[in-house]
Amino acid sequence: MRILLVEDDLPLAQGLQISLRHQDFAVDHVSNGKDALNTLAFADHDMVILDLGLPDIDGLSVLKEVRKNKSAIPIIILTARDSVEDKVQGLDIGADDYLVKPFDISELTARLRVIERRLGTANSSIITIHNVVIDTLAHKVLVNEQVINLAKKEYMVLKLLIENAGRIQSREQIESHLYEWGEEVSSNAVEVHISNIRKKLPERFIKTIRGVGYTVEN
Amino acid sequence: MSIRRYLMLIIISIITLIVFIAAIQGYKASMLQAADLFDVQLSSFADTLISLEPQKNNIKVSSNDTLAFQLWSNNRLISKSSNTPQQAISSFKHGFSEHNFMGKRWRVFSLKKHNTWILVAQLLKPRFELAEKVILSAVTPIILTIPLLSIIISLIISYGLKPLQQLKEQLTKKNINDLSTINMEHAGKELQPIIDTLNRVLSQLDKAYEREKRFASDAAHELRTPLSVLKINAHNLQYELGSDNESLNNLMASVERMVHVVEQILKLNQTNPEQFSQQMKKIVLTPIVQQVIAQLYTDISARKQIIEFVDNNIEIYGNDFCIATLAQNLIANASKYTPLGGQILVSTLQHGENFILQIEDSGPGITEEEINKVFDRFYRIGGDCNNSKVIGCGLGLAIVKHIVVLHQGSIKLSISPQLQGLMVTVTFPSLLEHHHTVAKKTVEVHS
Ligand SMILES: Nc1ncnc2c1ncn2[C@@H]1O[C@H](COP(=O)(O)OP(=O)(O)OP(=O)(O)O)[C@@H](O)[C@H]1O
Ligand SMILES: [Mg+2]
Repeated sequence: MRILLVEDDLPLAQGLQISLRHQDFAVDHVSNGKDALNTLAFADHDMVILDLGLPDIDGLSVLKEVRKNKSAIPIIILTARDSVEDKVQGLDIGADDYLVKPFDISELTARLRVIERRLGTANSSIITIHNVVIDTLAHKVLVNEQVINLAKKEYMVLKLLIENAGRIQSREQIESHLYEWGEEVSSNAVEVHISNIRKKLPERFIKTIRGVGYTVEN
Repeated sequence: MSIRRYLMLIIISIITLIVFIAAIQGYKASMLQAADLFDVQLSSFADTLISLEPQKNNIKVSSNDTLAFQLWSNNRLISKSSNTPQQAISSFKHGFSEHNFMGKRWRVFSLKKHNTWILVAQLLKPRFELAEKVILSAVTPIILTIPLLSIIISLIISYGLKPLQQLKEQLTKKNINDLSTINMEHAGKELQPIIDTLNRVLSQLDKAYEREKRFASDAAHELRTPLSVLKINAHNLQYELGSDNESLNNLMASVERMVHVVEQILKLNQTNPEQFSQQMKKIVLTPIVQQVIAQLYTDISARKQIIEFVDNNIEIYGNDFCIATLAQNLIANASKYTPLGGQILVSTLQHGENFILQIEDSGPGITEEEINKVFDRFYRIGGDCNNSKVIGCGLGLAIVKHIVVLHQGSIKLSISPQLQGLMVTVTFPSLLEHHHTVAKKTVEVHS
C-alpha cells in the first residue's frame, strides 16, 4: 500500500516514514498543502495521512479540495490541537479517521490495516486470533482448522469484531455497519447475530462489555 | 430603587405638594374676600335697621336666621331679635368684633346713633362654607388631573430612559462568554461615553481572551509535536535495537510519563473555569461514556478487570469534550488504583431533579483524611512513589473538579456499597436550572 504523508514538521515526518516502512508501507512525503494537492492529482496513492496544521493551506481545506474532486481516497487526519470542533468538522468533511498527537504508532498502524483490508490491498487476507482464523478474501472462518458455517450477516459482524480485535464495538457501531452493507436491521438484530455466532465459536471468544458493546481480544 | 421609580416618586410628590400649597394659599385668599363681602353686608344690614326705626316697629328675625340684632339705649335693651340673649352681644364700641352667643360664633358690628347702640351680628359659618366652596371648585380639577399627569410623566420618563433600558437588555442578553461590543443607535449624550468605555473594556478583554486561547492552543501544538517526534523515534529505535535495551526502555517510559503530564496540564488549563470558552449544549451521556470506556479498554483488559456500564439515557446541559475528559479521568483512576482482576461499575441515573454519573471500583478506596486533599493539583496519595508503577501526576481529580464547577454540579467521594472500593458520584443540575445561567463557581466536596 502506498501512503502519502502530508506533514510540515520534518523530524516527525522522517520518524513516521521510518516507522511505516518498518511495517511494510510505502510512504511518500510532502510538507505543504499545495504539494499535497499537486501530488494527489497525478500520483496514485492508496491513502493519505494529513496533518491539519500546514504552513500554506490549512489541512481541512486540503481535505475539502480532495473530496471536491470526487476522490474517495481514505484520509487519516493528524493534529496537535484537540478542539472537538476540528474533529467533528474533519469527520464531516470526509476524513476516515482522526488521531491526536502524540499518538501510538501501533494505534496508527492498526487503523491503516483496517483501511488496507477494506481496500483489499493487504498482503494477507488472513487474520488469526487464538484458534480462530478468518480469510477475508475467501469469506471463510475456520475454528481449529475446521470451516464453520456462518450466515452472511453473522460473517460480517464477526469480521468487523476480528478486524478491530482488542477494541470495543458498540451495538450502535455494529448496527450502522449492517446498514452500510445494505441490510435491514431489526431492533435486536445485533444481539441475535452475536448469540448465533457464539454458538459456533469457542466459548468466551466474543466478550460482552455490559452497557458498552462487544470485543474480541487478541 | 430603580431610577424610573425614583423619578416618578419625586416628580409626582412635588406636583402634589405644589397643588396643596396653592390650595391653602387660595383658601386664605378666598377667605379674606368672603370676609370683606360679608362685612359690607353686615354694615348695610345695620343701616337698613336704623332706617326701619326698630324702636317703633316690631322686626321679626327667626331664631335660626344667620342674622341677629340688639338695640340698646342707656344700657337698656330696647329691642332684639329672638336669636340673641338678654345680655349685650358685644361691648359698646364702634366697629367689628367676633363673639360667641347662643352656642355659635358670630361676627358683630356695633354702631351708635342718637344714644342708641345698634348691635348687628351675622353667623361666621357661612363665610367658611363659601370659602370652602370657592377653593374646592378651584382645586378639584387640578387634583383630578394628578393621575393623568402621572401617566404622562411615566411615559415621558420611560421615553427618556429608553437608551438605558436598551443597554440593560443588551447586557442581560450577553452570557459570560460573549465579549462582542454593544451597538446602540440612539444612546444619548450621557450614555454614549459609558457605552464607549464598556465597548473598549469588552474588546480589550476579548483580545486578551483570544490571546490566552491562542497561547494555550499554540502551547499544545508546540509541546505535542516534539513529543510525537520523541515517541516515534524511541519506538523506531526499539524496533531496531530490540525491546531489551534498558536505557531505551527507561527513555520510553519517561517519554510516556512526559506525554501524560503534558496532556494533563493542557487539560487542566483548558478546563479552567476562568477562561473556559466552549459551548454548552444538551448532550446525552451514553455515547460519551461508551467511547471513553472503549478508549480505556485496552488498559482495563490488560489489567484483567471487568467493567460494566449501567445506563439510564441521561441528558445533561454540558460540553462533550469536558464530560469525556471527566469520565476518562475517573474511569482511568478506577482502573489504575484497582488491583488486577478487579471490578469497575459505571452508571448514569436520575435522582429527583438531578442527573448522576457514578463510578465505583473494587480497589482500596480513599480514606476520610485524604478525601479533601486528592482534589489538589499534583497531589497523589503516598507521594510521588505512589503505588510504584501506576503512572500519574496527581492532576486528574483537579481537572475533574474544574469540569464539575463548569457544569454547576457537585462531586462526592464515598465507599461503594457494592464493590467496597471508591465510589465517585458526580451530580449535574436539572436541565431547566442550568438554562443560560452564569456559572456559579462553587464546588462541593463531601466526605
Ligand atoms: N479510584 C481510586 N481508588 C483509590 N485511590 C484513588 C482513586 N482515584 C484516585 N485515587 C487517589 O487519588 C490521587 C489523586 O488522583 P488524581 O486522579 O488526581 O491523580 P493521579 O491519578 O495520580 O494522576 P493523573 O490522574 O493526573 O494521571 C491518586 O494518586 C490516588 O492515590
Ligand atoms: Mg487520575
